[in-house]
Amino acid sequence: MGAYRADEDYDYLFKVVLIGDSGVGKSNLLSRFTRNEFSLESKSTIGVEFATRSIHVDDKVVKAQIWDTAGQERYRAITSAYYRGAVGALLVYDVTRHVTFENVERWLKELRDHTDSNIVIMLVGNKADLRHLRAVTTEDAKAFAERENTFFMETSALESLNVENAFTEVLTQIYRVVSRKALEVGDDPAALPKGQTINVGDDVSAMKKVGCCSA
Amino acid sequence: MWSTGEPADSYYAVRPECTDVPKSRFKIRAGKTLSARKWQTAFSPEGHLDIGKTLSRIQRGGIHPSIRGEVWEFLLGCYDPRSTFDEREQMRQRRRTQYARWKEECSEIFPVVGSGRYITAPVITEDDAGSSDADAIAATSEIVKELTSRGPLDKKVIQWLLTLHQIGLDVVRTDRTLVFYENKENLSKLWDILAVYAWIDTDVGYCQGMSDLCSPMIMLLEDEADAFWCFERLMRRLMMWALEYDPDLFDMYEESDSASDKAEGSKGRAKSIRHYGKFERENMKNGAGTEAPLPISVFLVASVLKDKSAKLLTEARGLDDVVKILNDMTGNLDAKKACSGAMKLHKKYLKKAKKT
Repeated sequence: MGAYRADEDYDYLFKVVLIGDSGVGKSNLLSRFTRNEFSLESKSTIGVEFATRSIHVDDKVVKAQIWDTAGQERYRAITSAYYRGAVGALLVYDVTRHVTFENVERWLKELRDHTDSNIVIMLVGNKADLRHLRAVTTEDAKAFAERENTFFMETSALESLNVENAFTEVLTQIYRVVSRKALEVGDDPAALPKGQTINVGDDVSAMKKVGCCSA
Repeated sequence: MWSTGEPADSYYAVRPECTDVPKSRFKIRAGKTLSARKWQTAFSPEGHLDIGKTLSRIQRGGIHPSIRGEVWEFLLGCYDPRSTFDEREQMRQRRRTQYARWKEECSEIFPVVGSGRYITAPVITEDDAGSSDADAIAATSEIVKELTSRGPLDKKVIQWLLTLHQIGLDVVRTDRTLVFYENKENLSKLWDILAVYAWIDTDVGYCQGMSDLCSPMIMLLEDEADAFWCFERLMRRLMMWALEYDPDLFDMYEESDSASDKAEGSKGRAKSIRHYGKFERENMKNGAGTEAPLPISVFLVASVLKDKSAKLLTEARGLDDVVKILNDMTGNLDAKKACSGAMKLHKKYLKKAKKT
Protein backbone atom coordinates (compact mmCIF):
# COMPACT_ATOMS: atom_id res chain seq x y z
CA MET A 1 0.00 0.00 0.00
CA GLY A 2 1.09 3.54 -0.52
CA ALA A 3 2.84 2.95 -3.81
CA TYR A 4 2.19 5.51 -6.52
CA ARG A 5 1.84 3.27 -9.52
CA ALA A 6 1.18 3.54 -13.20
CA ASP A 7 -2.15 4.99 -14.07
CA GLU A 8 -3.68 2.33 -16.25
CA ASP A 9 -2.84 -0.71 -14.20
CA TYR A 10 -5.78 -1.36 -11.92
CA ASP A 11 -8.53 -3.85 -11.14
CA TYR A 12 -11.15 -1.48 -9.83
CA LEU A 13 -11.90 2.17 -10.41
CA PHE A 14 -13.93 3.91 -7.71
CA LYS A 15 -15.24 7.44 -7.81
CA VAL A 16 -15.13 9.15 -4.43
CA VAL A 17 -16.41 12.67 -3.75
CA LEU A 18 -15.23 15.21 -1.20
CA ILE A 19 -17.98 17.38 0.22
CA GLY A 20 -18.38 19.81 3.07
CA ASP A 21 -18.48 23.53 3.80
CA SER A 22 -16.16 26.06 2.26
CA GLY A 23 -12.71 26.20 3.83
CA VAL A 24 -12.78 22.92 5.78
CA GLY A 25 -9.74 21.60 3.90
CA LYS A 26 -11.16 19.36 1.18
CA SER A 27 -8.55 20.33 -1.40
CA ASN A 28 -5.66 19.82 0.97
CA LEU A 29 -6.98 16.40 1.97
CA LEU A 30 -7.03 15.52 -1.71
CA SER A 31 -3.52 16.80 -2.40
CA ARG A 32 -2.18 15.13 0.75
CA PHE A 33 -3.58 11.76 -0.26
CA THR A 34 -2.82 11.86 -3.99
CA ARG A 35 0.47 13.80 -4.06
CA ASN A 36 1.53 13.93 -0.44
CA GLU A 37 1.41 17.71 -0.64
CA PHE A 38 -0.08 20.38 1.59
CA SER A 39 -0.29 24.08 0.87
CA LEU A 40 -0.74 26.78 3.47
CA GLU A 41 -1.43 29.21 0.66
CA SER A 42 -4.14 27.31 -1.19
CA LYS A 43 -6.91 29.27 -2.88
CA SER A 44 -10.61 28.58 -2.79
CA THR A 45 -11.61 25.89 -5.27
CA ILE A 46 -13.50 27.01 -8.34
CA GLY A 47 -15.54 24.53 -10.32
CA VAL A 48 -14.51 20.89 -10.02
CA GLU A 49 -11.23 19.04 -9.91
CA PHE A 50 -10.22 15.46 -9.43
CA ALA A 51 -7.08 13.47 -8.82
CA THR A 52 -6.33 9.76 -8.74
CA ARG A 53 -4.26 7.37 -6.75
CA SER A 54 -4.09 3.60 -6.69
CA ILE A 55 -3.79 1.48 -3.59
CA HIS A 56 -3.76 -2.24 -2.86
CA VAL A 57 -6.69 -3.92 -1.19
CA ASP A 58 -6.17 -7.65 -0.68
CA ASP A 59 -4.42 -8.66 -3.87
CA LYS A 60 -6.26 -6.14 -6.00
CA VAL A 61 -5.27 -2.72 -7.27
CA VAL A 62 -7.94 -0.17 -6.50
CA LYS A 63 -7.72 3.12 -8.33
CA ALA A 64 -9.48 5.97 -6.60
CA GLN A 65 -10.72 8.88 -8.63
CA ILE A 66 -11.35 11.56 -6.04
CA TRP A 67 -13.47 14.59 -6.89
CA ASP A 68 -13.22 17.94 -5.20
CA THR A 69 -15.43 20.97 -5.66
CA ALA A 70 -16.21 24.43 -4.33
CA GLY A 71 -18.04 24.39 -1.01
CA GLN A 72 -20.20 27.42 -1.67
CA GLU A 73 -23.90 26.69 -1.74
CA ARG A 74 -24.49 28.18 -5.15
CA TYR A 75 -22.09 25.80 -6.84
CA ARG A 76 -24.74 23.18 -6.13
CA ALA A 77 -25.93 23.78 -9.69
CA ILE A 78 -23.39 21.19 -10.77
CA THR A 79 -24.44 18.80 -8.04
CA SER A 80 -25.94 15.98 -10.04
CA ALA A 81 -22.98 15.76 -12.40
CA TYR A 82 -20.63 15.85 -9.45
CA TYR A 83 -22.29 12.99 -7.60
CA ARG A 84 -22.99 10.84 -10.66
CA GLY A 85 -21.36 7.46 -10.28
CA ALA A 86 -19.89 8.16 -6.86
CA VAL A 87 -19.48 5.05 -4.70
CA GLY A 88 -17.79 6.74 -1.77
CA ALA A 89 -17.84 10.10 -0.03
CA LEU A 90 -15.75 11.92 2.53
CA LEU A 91 -17.99 14.43 4.28
CA VAL A 92 -15.58 16.92 5.76
CA TYR A 93 -16.04 19.47 8.53
CA ASP A 94 -13.55 21.66 10.36
CA VAL A 95 -13.12 20.71 14.03
CA THR A 96 -12.38 24.36 14.85
CA ARG A 97 -15.58 25.76 13.31
CA HIS A 98 -18.73 24.33 14.85
CA VAL A 99 -20.97 25.69 12.11
CA THR A 100 -19.29 23.41 9.58
CA PHE A 101 -20.27 20.45 11.76
CA GLU A 102 -23.83 21.72 12.05
CA ASN A 103 -24.05 21.77 8.27
CA VAL A 104 -22.99 18.13 7.98
CA GLU A 105 -26.63 17.10 8.23
CA ARG A 106 -27.50 19.16 5.19
CA TRP A 107 -24.62 17.72 3.21
CA LEU A 108 -25.63 14.23 4.18
CA LYS A 109 -29.14 14.81 2.94
CA GLU A 110 -27.89 16.12 -0.38
CA LEU A 111 -25.52 13.21 -0.71
CA ARG A 112 -28.24 10.65 -0.04
CA ASP A 113 -30.61 12.41 -2.41
CA HIS A 114 -28.14 12.12 -5.26
CA THR A 115 -26.36 8.83 -4.78
CA ASP A 116 -27.04 5.12 -4.45
CA SER A 117 -27.96 3.84 -1.01
CA ASN A 118 -24.90 1.57 -0.99
CA ILE A 119 -22.52 4.53 -1.05
CA VAL A 120 -19.80 4.38 1.59
CA ILE A 121 -19.71 7.56 3.65
CA MET A 122 -17.07 8.71 6.08
CA LEU A 123 -17.50 11.73 8.31
CA VAL A 124 -14.13 13.48 8.52
CA GLY A 125 -13.22 16.06 11.16
CA ASN A 126 -10.27 17.87 9.61
CA LYS A 127 -7.72 20.31 11.11
CA ALA A 128 -7.33 18.12 14.18
CA ASP A 129 -3.84 19.61 14.62
CA LEU A 130 -5.39 22.86 15.86
CA ARG A 131 -5.95 21.46 19.33
CA HIS A 132 -6.25 24.78 21.12
CA LEU A 133 -9.01 25.92 18.74
CA ARG A 134 -11.15 22.80 18.81
CA ALA A 135 -14.88 23.55 18.77
CA VAL A 136 -16.32 20.10 17.99
CA THR A 137 -15.65 17.23 20.39
CA THR A 138 -14.70 13.81 19.10
CA GLU A 139 -17.57 12.31 21.11
CA ASP A 140 -20.21 14.52 19.47
CA ALA A 141 -18.98 13.67 16.02
CA LYS A 142 -18.69 9.98 16.82
CA ALA A 143 -22.24 9.91 18.17
CA PHE A 144 -23.49 11.64 15.06
CA ALA A 145 -21.68 9.18 12.80
CA GLU A 146 -23.14 6.23 14.70
CA ARG A 147 -26.61 7.66 14.49
CA GLU A 148 -26.27 8.28 10.76
CA ASN A 149 -24.51 5.01 10.10
CA THR A 150 -21.38 6.49 8.60
CA PHE A 151 -17.73 5.87 9.31
CA PHE A 152 -15.84 8.53 11.22
CA MET A 153 -12.27 9.74 11.55
CA GLU A 154 -10.46 12.89 12.62
CA THR A 155 -7.68 14.01 10.31
CA SER A 156 -5.06 16.65 9.80
CA ALA A 157 -4.04 17.26 6.22
CA LEU A 158 -1.29 19.53 7.53
CA GLU A 159 0.27 16.94 9.83
CA SER A 160 -0.65 14.09 7.52
CA LEU A 161 -2.59 12.55 10.37
CA ASN A 162 -5.10 9.84 9.43
CA VAL A 163 -5.47 11.08 5.85
CA GLU A 164 -4.13 7.85 4.44
CA ASN A 165 -6.31 5.88 6.85
CA ALA A 166 -9.48 7.75 6.00
CA PHE A 167 -9.21 7.26 2.26
CA THR A 168 -7.96 3.70 2.55
CA GLU A 169 -10.81 2.79 4.86
CA VAL A 170 -13.41 4.19 2.48
CA LEU A 171 -11.84 2.47 -0.51
CA THR A 172 -11.58 -0.84 1.33
CA GLN A 173 -15.21 -0.65 2.37
CA ILE A 174 -16.28 0.09 -1.20
CA TYR A 175 -14.21 -2.88 -2.32
CA ARG A 176 -16.00 -5.07 0.22
CA VAL A 177 -19.40 -3.91 -1.03
CA VAL A 178 -18.45 -4.44 -4.64
CA SER A 179 -16.82 -7.84 -4.24
CA ARG A 180 -19.76 -9.02 -2.14
CA LYS A 181 -22.06 -7.88 -4.93
CA ALA A 182 -19.94 -9.66 -7.49
CA LEU A 183 -20.13 -12.79 -5.40
CA GLU A 184 -23.90 -12.56 -5.14
CA VAL A 185 -24.12 -12.13 -8.87
CA GLY A 186 -21.84 -15.10 -9.31
CA ASP A 187 -24.16 -17.24 -7.19
CA ASP A 188 -27.16 -16.37 -9.24
CA PRO A 189 -26.83 -17.79 -12.76
CA ALA A 190 -29.79 -15.75 -13.98
CA ALA A 191 -27.94 -12.56 -13.26
CA LEU A 192 -24.81 -13.57 -15.11
CA PRO A 193 -25.48 -12.14 -18.57
CA LYS A 194 -25.94 -8.72 -17.11
CA GLY A 195 -22.30 -8.45 -16.32
CA GLN A 196 -21.46 -5.38 -14.36
CA THR A 197 -24.12 -5.55 -11.71
CA ILE A 198 -22.57 -3.11 -9.36
CA ASN A 199 -25.40 -1.04 -8.10
CA VAL A 200 -23.27 1.26 -6.06
CA GLY A 201 -22.91 3.53 -9.04
CA ASP A 202 -23.24 3.69 -12.76
CA ASP A 203 -20.71 5.81 -14.58
CA VAL A 204 -17.18 5.69 -13.44
CA SER A 205 -17.07 2.82 -11.07
CA ALA A 206 -16.71 -0.45 -12.84
CA MET A 207 -14.86 -3.64 -12.50
CA LYS A 208 -12.19 -3.76 -15.08
CA LYS A 209 -11.14 -7.37 -15.20
CA VAL A 210 -13.57 -9.03 -12.89
CA GLY A 211 -16.63 -8.27 -14.97
CA CYS A 212 -18.12 -11.56 -16.07
CA CYS A 213 -19.07 -10.54 -19.56
CA SER A 214 -15.69 -9.30 -20.64
CA ALA A 215 -14.61 -10.85 -23.89
CA MET B 1 14.10 54.04 -16.19
CA TRP B 2 14.42 50.28 -16.04
CA SER B 3 16.87 47.85 -17.48
CA THR B 4 15.93 45.57 -20.34
CA GLY B 5 14.18 42.39 -19.36
CA GLU B 6 13.55 43.26 -15.75
CA PRO B 7 11.10 40.77 -14.28
CA ALA B 8 8.00 42.35 -12.80
CA ASP B 9 7.90 40.10 -9.75
CA SER B 10 9.49 42.80 -7.60
CA TYR B 11 6.36 44.90 -7.97
CA TYR B 12 4.24 42.19 -6.43
CA ALA B 13 6.48 40.95 -3.64
CA VAL B 14 6.03 37.39 -2.44
CA ARG B 15 6.36 36.53 1.25
CA PRO B 16 9.82 35.04 1.80
CA GLU B 17 8.45 31.87 3.40
CA CYS B 18 6.48 31.02 0.26
CA THR B 19 9.02 29.18 -1.81
CA ASP B 20 7.10 27.36 -4.51
CA VAL B 21 5.38 30.34 -6.11
CA PRO B 22 5.81 30.26 -9.90
CA LYS B 23 7.86 33.12 -11.26
CA SER B 24 6.12 35.48 -13.65
CA ARG B 25 7.14 35.00 -17.26
CA PHE B 26 6.39 38.65 -17.89
CA LYS B 27 9.42 40.87 -18.31
CA ILE B 28 9.57 44.62 -18.60
CA ARG B 29 11.31 45.34 -21.90
CA ALA B 30 12.36 48.83 -22.91
CA GLY B 31 10.87 49.74 -26.28
CA LYS B 32 8.30 46.94 -26.09
CA THR B 33 6.46 47.32 -22.82
CA LEU B 34 4.10 50.27 -22.64
CA SER B 35 5.97 52.79 -20.49
CA ALA B 36 4.61 55.70 -18.48
CA ARG B 37 6.16 58.14 -20.94
CA LYS B 38 4.72 56.42 -24.00
CA TRP B 39 1.32 56.25 -22.31
CA GLN B 40 1.32 59.96 -21.59
CA THR B 41 2.13 60.85 -25.18
CA ALA B 42 -1.01 58.99 -26.31
CA PHE B 43 -3.16 61.77 -24.78
CA SER B 44 -4.03 65.04 -26.48
CA PRO B 45 -3.69 68.24 -24.41
CA GLU B 46 -7.40 68.02 -23.49
CA GLY B 47 -7.08 64.40 -22.55
CA HIS B 48 -8.42 62.49 -25.55
CA LEU B 49 -6.71 59.13 -25.62
CA ASP B 50 -5.55 57.55 -28.84
CA ILE B 51 -5.99 54.07 -27.46
CA GLY B 52 -5.31 52.35 -30.76
CA LYS B 53 -1.74 53.64 -30.53
CA THR B 54 -1.17 51.82 -27.27
CA LEU B 55 -3.03 48.55 -27.88
CA SER B 56 -0.50 46.83 -30.08
CA ARG B 57 2.25 47.70 -27.64
CA ILE B 58 0.21 46.37 -24.75
CA GLN B 59 -0.45 43.22 -26.69
CA ARG B 60 3.21 42.67 -27.56
CA GLY B 61 5.02 43.93 -24.51
CA GLY B 62 2.52 44.36 -21.72
CA ILE B 63 2.06 47.36 -19.43
CA HIS B 64 4.65 48.71 -17.05
CA PRO B 65 3.47 47.97 -13.50
CA SER B 66 3.65 51.64 -12.51
CA ILE B 67 0.78 52.59 -14.84
CA ARG B 68 -1.24 49.40 -14.89
CA GLY B 69 -4.08 50.80 -12.80
CA GLU B 70 -4.83 53.76 -15.02
CA VAL B 71 -4.41 51.75 -18.23
CA TRP B 72 -6.76 49.05 -16.99
CA GLU B 73 -9.40 51.66 -16.27
CA PHE B 74 -9.51 52.33 -19.99
CA LEU B 75 -9.17 48.72 -21.07
CA LEU B 76 -12.06 47.70 -18.85
CA GLY B 77 -14.18 50.54 -20.14
CA CYS B 78 -14.46 52.67 -17.02
CA TYR B 79 -13.77 55.70 -19.16
CA ASP B 80 -14.37 56.62 -22.76
CA PRO B 81 -11.03 57.29 -24.47
CA ARG B 82 -12.70 60.19 -26.28
CA SER B 83 -13.50 61.99 -23.02
CA THR B 84 -11.38 64.83 -21.66
CA PHE B 85 -9.33 65.00 -18.47
CA ASP B 86 -12.01 67.21 -16.91
CA GLU B 87 -14.89 64.95 -17.86
CA ARG B 88 -13.12 61.95 -16.43
CA GLU B 89 -12.29 63.74 -13.23
CA GLN B 90 -15.94 64.66 -12.78
CA MET B 91 -17.03 61.14 -13.51
CA ARG B 92 -14.47 59.78 -11.08
CA GLN B 93 -15.78 62.03 -8.32
CA ARG B 94 -19.38 61.07 -9.07
CA ARG B 95 -18.50 57.39 -8.94
CA ARG B 96 -16.59 57.76 -5.71
CA THR B 97 -19.61 59.45 -4.18
CA GLN B 98 -21.89 56.70 -5.45
CA TYR B 99 -19.65 54.00 -4.01
CA ALA B 100 -19.48 55.81 -0.69
CA ARG B 101 -23.28 55.94 -0.63
CA TRP B 102 -23.65 52.20 -1.29
CA LYS B 103 -21.03 51.40 1.27
CA GLU B 104 -22.88 53.52 3.79
CA GLU B 105 -26.08 51.58 3.07
CA CYS B 106 -24.24 48.34 3.73
CA SER B 107 -22.61 49.61 6.84
CA GLU B 108 -25.95 50.75 8.25
CA ILE B 109 -27.25 47.20 7.98
CA PHE B 110 -24.03 45.51 8.98
CA PRO B 111 -21.48 47.86 10.57
CA VAL B 112 -18.51 45.56 9.96
CA VAL B 113 -18.50 46.95 6.41
CA GLY B 114 -16.09 49.85 6.38
CA SER B 115 -14.81 49.12 9.87
CA GLY B 116 -11.44 47.75 8.78
CA ARG B 117 -12.51 44.28 9.86
CA TYR B 118 -14.21 41.39 8.08
CA ILE B 119 -16.04 38.23 9.05
CA THR B 120 -15.57 34.54 8.23
CA ALA B 121 -18.30 33.05 10.41
CA PRO B 122 -21.95 33.12 9.37
CA VAL B 123 -23.98 35.91 10.96
CA ILE B 124 -27.24 34.35 9.95
CA THR B 125 -28.19 30.78 9.10
CA GLU B 126 -31.03 29.23 7.21
CA ASP B 127 -32.90 26.72 9.32
CA ASP B 128 -34.37 25.18 6.28
CA ALA B 129 -32.18 24.73 3.22
CA GLY B 130 -33.41 26.67 0.25
CA SER B 131 -35.87 28.87 2.04
CA SER B 132 -34.85 32.28 3.17
CA ASP B 133 -38.08 33.53 4.65
CA ALA B 134 -37.65 35.81 7.57
CA ASP B 135 -38.99 33.21 9.99
CA ALA B 136 -36.71 30.44 8.77
CA ILE B 137 -33.48 32.18 9.60
CA ALA B 138 -31.56 32.35 12.80
CA ALA B 139 -29.34 35.23 13.73
CA THR B 140 -25.98 34.06 15.02
CA SER B 141 -24.41 37.44 15.62
CA GLU B 142 -25.26 40.25 17.99
CA ILE B 143 -25.40 42.74 15.14
CA VAL B 144 -28.03 40.74 13.31
CA LYS B 145 -29.97 39.98 16.50
CA GLU B 146 -30.16 43.70 17.04
CA LEU B 147 -31.23 44.13 13.43
CA THR B 148 -34.00 41.53 13.62
CA SER B 149 -35.31 42.96 16.89
CA ARG B 150 -36.35 46.02 14.92
CA GLY B 151 -38.57 43.98 12.63
CA PRO B 152 -38.48 41.23 10.00
CA LEU B 153 -35.60 41.41 7.57
CA ASP B 154 -36.04 42.16 3.93
CA LYS B 155 -35.36 39.22 1.60
CA LYS B 156 -32.58 41.14 -0.13
CA VAL B 157 -30.95 41.82 3.22
CA ILE B 158 -31.15 38.15 4.21
CA GLN B 159 -29.58 36.97 0.96
CA TRP B 160 -26.80 39.50 1.37
CA LEU B 161 -26.10 38.63 5.01
CA LEU B 162 -25.90 34.97 4.03
CA THR B 163 -22.98 35.64 1.68
CA LEU B 164 -20.81 37.83 3.91
CA HIS B 165 -18.94 35.04 5.70
CA GLN B 166 -18.33 33.25 2.41
CA ILE B 167 -16.65 36.38 1.08
CA GLY B 168 -14.51 36.44 4.23
CA LEU B 169 -13.54 32.77 3.89
CA ASP B 170 -12.29 33.46 0.38
CA VAL B 171 -10.69 36.83 1.08
CA VAL B 172 -8.29 35.26 3.56
CA ARG B 173 -7.33 32.69 0.91
CA THR B 174 -6.82 35.18 -1.95
CA ASP B 175 -3.27 35.69 -3.24
CA ARG B 176 -1.98 35.00 0.22
CA THR B 177 1.55 34.41 -0.98
CA LEU B 178 1.82 38.16 -1.52
CA VAL B 179 3.28 40.59 1.00
CA PHE B 180 0.46 42.94 0.01
CA TYR B 181 -2.08 40.88 1.95
CA GLU B 182 -0.01 40.75 5.12
CA ASN B 183 -1.52 44.15 5.64
CA LYS B 184 -4.94 43.48 7.18
CA GLU B 185 -6.27 46.73 5.74
CA ASN B 186 -5.98 45.27 2.27
CA LEU B 187 -7.93 42.19 3.31
CA SER B 188 -10.77 44.30 4.64
CA LYS B 189 -10.65 46.45 1.51
CA LEU B 190 -11.15 43.34 -0.59
CA TRP B 191 -13.94 42.20 1.69
CA ASP B 192 -15.65 45.61 1.59
CA ILE B 193 -15.61 45.84 -2.19
CA LEU B 194 -17.00 42.33 -2.64
CA ALA B 195 -19.64 42.93 0.03
CA VAL B 196 -20.77 46.17 -1.61
CA TYR B 197 -20.80 44.49 -5.00
CA ALA B 198 -22.96 41.67 -3.68
CA TRP B 199 -25.31 44.31 -2.30
CA ILE B 200 -25.79 46.18 -5.58
CA ASP B 201 -25.78 43.19 -7.94
CA THR B 202 -28.29 40.81 -6.42
CA ASP B 203 -28.30 38.61 -9.54
CA VAL B 204 -24.68 37.67 -9.14
CA GLY B 205 -24.19 38.43 -5.47
CA TYR B 206 -20.99 36.69 -4.52
CA CYS B 207 -19.66 33.61 -6.22
CA GLN B 208 -16.41 31.82 -5.33
CA GLY B 209 -13.68 32.98 -7.67
CA MET B 210 -14.74 36.62 -7.62
CA SER B 211 -12.22 37.42 -4.91
CA ASP B 212 -9.44 36.34 -7.28
CA LEU B 213 -10.78 38.65 -9.97
CA CYS B 214 -11.11 41.58 -7.60
CA SER B 215 -7.69 41.22 -6.02
CA PRO B 216 -5.62 42.75 -8.87
CA MET B 217 -7.87 45.82 -8.90
CA ILE B 218 -7.08 46.53 -5.28
CA MET B 219 -3.39 46.10 -5.87
CA LEU B 220 -3.33 48.32 -8.93
CA LEU B 221 -5.66 51.11 -7.85
CA GLU B 222 -4.99 52.85 -4.61
CA ASP B 223 -8.45 54.32 -4.15
CA GLU B 224 -10.98 51.74 -2.99
CA ALA B 225 -13.84 53.28 -4.96
CA ASP B 226 -11.78 53.31 -8.17
CA ALA B 227 -10.90 49.66 -7.60
CA PHE B 228 -14.57 48.89 -7.06
CA TRP B 229 -15.57 50.45 -10.37
CA CYS B 230 -12.88 48.57 -12.26
CA PHE B 231 -14.16 45.37 -10.72
CA GLU B 232 -17.73 46.32 -11.56
CA ARG B 233 -16.76 46.86 -15.21
CA LEU B 234 -14.93 43.57 -15.28
CA MET B 235 -17.94 41.71 -13.90
CA ARG B 236 -20.19 43.40 -16.41
CA ARG B 237 -17.94 42.36 -19.26
CA LEU B 238 -17.57 38.82 -18.01
CA MET B 239 -21.32 38.56 -17.88
CA MET B 240 -21.73 39.87 -21.38
CA TRP B 241 -19.04 37.65 -22.81
CA ALA B 242 -20.27 34.59 -21.05
CA LEU B 243 -23.80 35.07 -22.26
CA GLU B 244 -22.71 36.09 -25.71
CA TYR B 245 -20.39 33.18 -26.11
CA ASP B 246 -22.53 30.44 -24.71
CA PRO B 247 -26.29 30.62 -25.19
CA ASP B 248 -26.68 27.54 -22.99
CA LEU B 249 -25.23 29.50 -20.16
CA PHE B 250 -27.89 32.06 -20.74
CA ASP B 251 -30.58 29.38 -20.50
CA MET B 252 -28.99 28.02 -17.37
CA TYR B 253 -28.86 31.46 -15.88
CA GLU B 254 -32.49 32.09 -16.63
CA GLU B 255 -33.51 28.67 -15.36
CA SER B 256 -31.60 28.75 -12.10
CA ASP B 257 -32.80 32.25 -11.55
CA SER B 258 -36.46 31.39 -11.79
CA ALA B 259 -36.00 28.14 -9.88
CA SER B 260 -34.09 29.49 -6.93
CA ASP B 261 -35.69 32.85 -6.73
CA LYS B 262 -39.33 33.17 -7.59
CA ALA B 263 -39.31 36.85 -6.83
CA GLU B 264 -41.11 39.18 -9.16
CA GLY B 265 -39.08 40.98 -11.74
CA SER B 266 -36.92 38.05 -12.74
CA LYS B 267 -38.29 38.39 -16.26
CA GLY B 268 -37.14 41.97 -16.45
CA ARG B 269 -33.74 40.93 -15.24
CA ALA B 270 -33.36 38.27 -17.90
CA LYS B 271 -34.31 40.85 -20.46
CA SER B 272 -31.65 43.22 -19.30
CA ILE B 273 -29.07 40.46 -19.61
CA ARG B 274 -30.23 39.74 -23.12
CA HIS B 275 -29.79 43.41 -23.81
CA TYR B 276 -26.18 43.26 -22.67
CA GLY B 277 -25.62 40.48 -25.15
CA LYS B 278 -27.01 42.53 -27.97
CA PHE B 279 -25.00 45.54 -26.93
CA GLU B 280 -21.83 43.55 -26.94
CA ARG B 281 -22.63 42.03 -30.30
CA GLU B 282 -23.01 45.46 -31.84
CA ASN B 283 -19.91 46.65 -30.13
CA MET B 284 -17.98 43.83 -31.70
CA LYS B 285 -19.25 44.57 -35.18
CA ASN B 286 -18.61 48.28 -34.87
CA GLY B 287 -15.18 47.52 -33.59
CA ALA B 288 -14.24 46.77 -37.19
CA GLY B 289 -14.06 50.39 -38.22
CA THR B 290 -13.33 52.19 -34.98
CA GLU B 291 -10.58 52.13 -32.43
CA ALA B 292 -12.86 50.74 -29.72
CA PRO B 293 -11.13 48.37 -27.31
CA LEU B 294 -11.30 44.79 -28.51
CA PRO B 295 -13.44 42.35 -26.54
CA ILE B 296 -10.52 40.00 -26.62
CA SER B 297 -11.61 37.66 -23.82
CA VAL B 298 -14.16 35.73 -25.78
CA PHE B 299 -11.65 35.13 -28.54
CA LEU B 300 -9.10 34.16 -25.96
CA VAL B 301 -11.35 31.39 -24.72
CA ALA B 302 -12.07 30.37 -28.29
CA SER B 303 -8.39 30.23 -29.19
CA VAL B 304 -7.57 28.12 -26.16
CA LEU B 305 -10.39 25.72 -26.95
CA LYS B 306 -9.31 25.60 -30.58
CA ASP B 307 -5.80 24.84 -29.51
CA LYS B 308 -7.01 21.97 -27.35
CA SER B 309 -9.77 20.76 -29.63
CA ALA B 310 -7.75 17.90 -31.13
CA LYS B 311 -6.84 16.69 -27.66
CA LEU B 312 -10.39 17.09 -26.43
CA LEU B 313 -11.86 15.28 -29.40
CA THR B 314 -9.44 12.37 -29.41
CA GLU B 315 -8.65 11.85 -25.73
CA ALA B 316 -11.81 12.82 -23.91
CA ARG B 317 -14.09 9.87 -23.45
CA GLY B 318 -16.23 11.39 -20.75
CA LEU B 319 -16.80 14.35 -18.53
CA ASP B 320 -13.92 13.39 -16.28
CA ASP B 321 -11.45 13.55 -19.17
CA VAL B 322 -12.73 16.95 -20.20
CA VAL B 323 -12.40 18.21 -16.63
CA LYS B 324 -8.89 16.84 -16.46
CA ILE B 325 -7.73 18.35 -19.76
CA LEU B 326 -9.17 21.77 -18.91
CA ASN B 327 -7.84 21.75 -15.37
CA ASP B 328 -4.37 20.77 -16.56
CA MET B 329 -4.26 24.04 -18.47
CA THR B 330 -4.70 26.04 -15.28
CA GLY B 331 -1.47 27.84 -14.56
CA ASN B 332 0.19 26.41 -17.67
CA LEU B 333 -1.33 28.63 -20.29
CA ASP B 334 1.07 30.24 -22.76
CA ALA B 335 -0.44 33.71 -22.50
CA LYS B 336 1.36 35.10 -25.52
CA LYS B 337 0.34 32.25 -27.76
CA ALA B 338 -3.23 32.40 -26.53
CA CYS B 339 -3.35 36.16 -27.17
CA SER B 340 -2.02 35.96 -30.71
CA GLY B 341 -4.43 33.11 -31.42
CA ALA B 342 -7.23 35.26 -30.08
CA MET B 343 -6.24 38.19 -32.30
CA LYS B 344 -6.27 35.93 -35.36
CA LEU B 345 -9.73 34.63 -34.53
CA HIS B 346 -10.92 38.14 -33.90
CA LYS B 347 -9.73 39.27 -37.32
CA LYS B 348 -11.49 36.34 -38.89
CA TYR B 349 -14.65 37.13 -37.00
CA LEU B 350 -14.66 40.77 -38.06
CA LYS B 351 -14.25 39.75 -41.69
CA LYS B 352 -17.27 37.47 -41.45
CA ALA B 353 -19.32 39.96 -39.47
CA LYS B 354 -18.69 42.60 -42.10
CA LYS B 355 -19.94 40.37 -44.87
CA THR B 356 -23.23 39.54 -43.21
